[in-house]
Amino acid sequence: MNSEEATVFELLKGVIDPELMVNIIDLGLIYDVKIIKSKIDIDLTLTSAGCPMGEMIIEDVKQLVESNYPSFEVNVNLVWSPVWTLACLTENGKTALGQG
Amino acid sequence: MQHLAGQNAPSPFVVVPHFAIGAAFWLVVSLLIVLFPDSLSQHFFNPKLLAMTHLLVLGFITMVIFGALYQLIPVIMEEKLHSEKLAISSLFTLTSGTIFLAYSFWNSSFNNLLFFSAFLLLLSVILFAVNVFKTGLKSVKKNTEKKFIVTSLLWLLFTVLIGVLMTLNLVFPFLKISHLEVLKLHAHVGIIGWILQLIIGVGSKLLPMFMVSHNLNEKKLKIAYYLINIGLIVGTISVFLEIGFFVNLSVIVVIIGVLSFLSFIYEAFSKRIKKKLDIGMKQTLIAFLTFVISLFLVLLIISKISIFESISIQLNISYIVFLLVGFISSLIMGQTYKTLPFIIWLKVYRNKLGKGKIPLPIELYSRNIATAQLLMFILGFFILMIGIVITENGCIRLGASFLLLSILLYNYNIYKIILHKSTIYGK
Repeated sequence: MNSEEATVFELLKGVIDPELMVNIIDLGLIYDVKIIKSKIDIDLTLTSAGCPMGEMIIEDVKQLVESNYPSFEVNVNLVWSPVWTLACLTENGKTALGQG
Repeated sequence: MQHLAGQNAPSPFVVVPHFAIGAAFWLVVSLLIVLFPDSLSQHFFNPKLLAMTHLLVLGFITMVIFGALYQLIPVIMEEKLHSEKLAISSLFTLTSGTIFLAYSFWNSSFNNLLFFSAFLLLLSVILFAVNVFKTGLKSVKKNTEKKFIVTSLLWLLFTVLIGVLMTLNLVFPFLKISHLEVLKLHAHVGIIGWILQLIIGVGSKLLPMFMVSHNLNEKKLKIAYYLINIGLIVGTISVFLEIGFFVNLSVIVVIIGVLSFLSFIYEAFSKRIKKKLDIGMKQTLIAFLTFVISLFLVLLIISKISIFESISIQLNISYIVFLLVGFISSLIMGQTYKTLPFIIWLKVYRNKLGKGKIPLPIELYSRNIATAQLLMFILGFFILMIGIVITENGCIRLGASFLLLSILLYNYNIYKIILHKSTIYGK
């Protein structure tokens, strides 16, 4: 991940999972961010298949990145592999959820 | 490829009426208990209790389950519902069949209306089953949840068929075994084979999802599946062959299966990431605690110990009320707050995502009302159970009055959710 991709990654701390009230980076829901020319590709997973708030999270990610990078095309890819587990949580995520 | 929850969702006009009609039926049942508390202090084979039980089991429990399944089956099977028209037809036949059946029982009028209601209910269940089976056939997904759902449907069909047989037997007696024994079989095949098995199938998917629990031992579900179904089959055959020992043995086998499921739920609860339980999950937790008590009661009933034999009527009614009101109805009330707001939220806001700040599903109902509803329910249920045990009609009426208040609040929140209008704040 280069520095611009890392900036997008940090930016995504602004998206909160409405069920758990923890940001999606600390939940480990973002698997990858790639910027190629004027295109930003984001790989995102959910804590479980059928997660009711999935559409809202995806739309929030898209909106946040598009508003900060208006000249870029933003794609959010929903991925299920590898399956999200507790190990995906960051230290901050674990603390926020009382898992630390 | 797994899909998002809303991707294959049916029209809310198919799902939502089930919740609204179900809540209204539940209100009627609680009102009837307030007005006729004596129906809970006498033998369970009495016309009023039969009418109330069917209003509750068909009008509220089965109604909401049908509605919720139309929403959940596309998520579990990852396929669109086969037919929305069939679903609407099933809703009409279930509603009218339940009303006519309850009316016939209430008035002990075993005539053409009773046969007609039995026909409507059988038709409703067949329409529902065809819809689910056809959806299942399209789905290539194989999982334990699907197995539970499909098997529970077979038991539902069997339950209704026994019901039809009993209806015929009331007018043209032909069954060689006791009508009361067939009634017990009808009740248990319905409650365990249909409702409980469906709760296991759907709950084993939804409850870990709501609590965000991972790495659960799914073998426990497989054990539950086989033991419950083997127990039910052995129990059914034993009732018809009148072999009491095997009937009791089948009860034990079913209970071990149920304990395996409860162990799965406990594991999900203890491994949950989301530590704080919202109001829907709090009522769900209480429902499961009540369920454990009802399992204990059934052991007392089959123990045949003389002290329990002497209070057999109270024990049997307590067991059924624990199971139907304390566990199943309470679970449905709790899970309504986890499903209905999302269904309405999806309908109102799906095309408005990103157009401004929109409320969360949890903001579609009053949490204070939901909390008051839960407290009233606990208080009402506790007093009601004391009334049943001491066979005191005044106490039953008082408990039922609190339950009625609780269900009024539940109805208030249901309609608040259903009638929610779009509220978007500035971007």
